[in-house]
Amino acid sequence: MKRIKIIAGITWAFMCLIIIIVLFPGLNYFSNSASRLSFMKINPNYSGGEIAREYLTENCTLMVHKPVFDGLLKERKNGFVQVDWRGTIPDRFTDTIDYNLDNSPDFIIRVDRTSSQTDLNSLNSKIKDVSISTPTSYGWAARINIER
Amino acid sequence: MDNTTAPYKMNKAFGKSLLYTMPMFLITFIFITGGKPDFSNVPTAIAMLITFLGVNILFFMMHYTGKTDRFRAILFIAFALSLSFTLISNIMEMRNSMSFSQADILECKIPFCHLVIPMMIIPAAFTRSIIFPGSIIGGFADIASMVVLWLVASLVLGRGFCSWGCFYGGWDDGFSRLHTRPSIRKISELWKWMPFAVLFMVVLTAALTLVPTYCDWICPFKAVTEFEQVTGVESAIKAGVFISLFGGLVVALPLMTGKRTQCSFLCPLGALNSVSNKVTPFTIKIDKLTCTECLKCVNVCPMFALTQEGIKSGKVSIFCSKCGKCVDACSRKAIHFGIKGIPSGTMKNFSRNLFLFVSFLFIAVFSSGTIINSLQNILKLIF
Repeated sequence: MKRIKIIAGITWAFMCLIIIIVLFPGLNYFSNSASRLSFMKINPNYSGGEIAREYLTENCTLMVHKPVFDGLLKERKNGFVQVDWRGTIPDRFTDTIDYNLDNSPDFIIRVDRTSSQTDLNSLNSKIKDVSISTPTSYGWAARINIER
Repeated sequence: MDNTTAPYKMNKAFGKSLLYTMPMFLITFIFITGGKPDFSNVPTAIAMLITFLGVNILFFMMHYTGKTDRFRAILFIAFALSLSFTLISNIMEMRNSMSFSQADILECKIPFCHLVIPMMIIPAAFTRSIIFPGSIIGGFADIASMVVLWLVASLVLGRGFCSWGCFYGGWDDGFSRLHTRPSIRKISELWKWMPFAVLFMVVLTAALTLVPTYCDWICPFKAVTEFEQVTGVESAIKAGVFISLFGGLVVALPLMTGKRTQCSFLCPLGALNSVSNKVTPFTIKIDKLTCTECLKCVNVCPMFALTQEGIKSGKVSIFCSKCGKCVDACSRKAIHFGIKGIPSGTMKNFSRNLFLFVSFLFIAVFSSGTIINSLQNILKLIF
């Protein structure tokens, strides 16, 4: 038994040596494989959620994300909807958003990029306030707090 | 089979140490330079050469002198400093500030760090997603690569990751060495269970809020990496917490106690890695036949892994990070690197050499990119 334990210990130790030698040259492969695991995607609370609708204008694309209410086990009462403006966007812009895709406008958002001022006009009782309105590398993004 | 004094005589042999270093020399050459050293950019070539020679000299000295910790610490501390230097200089170049903005969060541009891992496990299981605004694959410190590196290191080294891989541990380690005569000597044993309480708390709060709460509110290393832009009371409190914990647990207490207090009293990943010490084949063993119970090892252990009772029973606790400080302190070589299954007091040299090869190779390759980068930046500033 003692001998078996010694052999098992040394074998495991040598396997560890091989694992470390293989780790760095194979890191890209292992990382790519890991990235394909089903849970390897950013939570919508950070990514903003899937894009529900895109509106193309002359120089800019307006993207309305799906509302995010994600909780650990069930959806939360409060969430947000993210709106992105991509491309060449004017200094001041106003958009009317229908976030729940029921063909009736839910809020009007006005952004003044020069003063970083954002105004929200709720047209739906579920719309609460603006949680984030910020310049991004692709243009502008805003998150509007909403109720389920 | 070794006896207690002979193995370290062998370490004095220059040729043998050189021979032992050769495989490391070749492997690090291939891993650091990619097998094709590029001499077209002078600062990069110099930085690469300094790093490559530096790590191999340290490895050679470990074998030649028979001492582990002092040479490990040089690389470990250099890794921590260079990572912060590289990260801060990159961030300052990109944003002119050490803080990240809401846009960086929205665009998932925050570099991932291994301390998030304990908090993302439950949300990953229930929501099938990662609660961190980083990049899954590609870019600097992506989530998939960091998870793979941590998983493998924990499997192979156990809590050895905390002394041979964690790019934050070097800060604690460095400050704990600055003051040779600690002013605080008596610290309750109970404190070493604190990281398990922190682990439980942050895992629970992260699961409930889907926010990596440790990173958001507690992590002392935000003070030397990047933190949320101060835009209001909440972010100001957070910044205050980061700086206070860094000053207290990473600077002041290590200076006063000579121990790695952040790693021992706060780090939730350290608690998780303590459990992984059960899996790794490498361990620290106590040869009760040779041990005189002088307790030098207990006094020098920076992680509170050794106790008087443990020495008496010949056991090292799960908190051991295999830094080798106790091994270096023992004049009778009664405490030594070992492999599970091999009885204590036997095959000491073989076990140490195998462990050092595995652990040093990990830190040498893991740290080399960062060290090269910071050396390159320093050289560019000078010339």
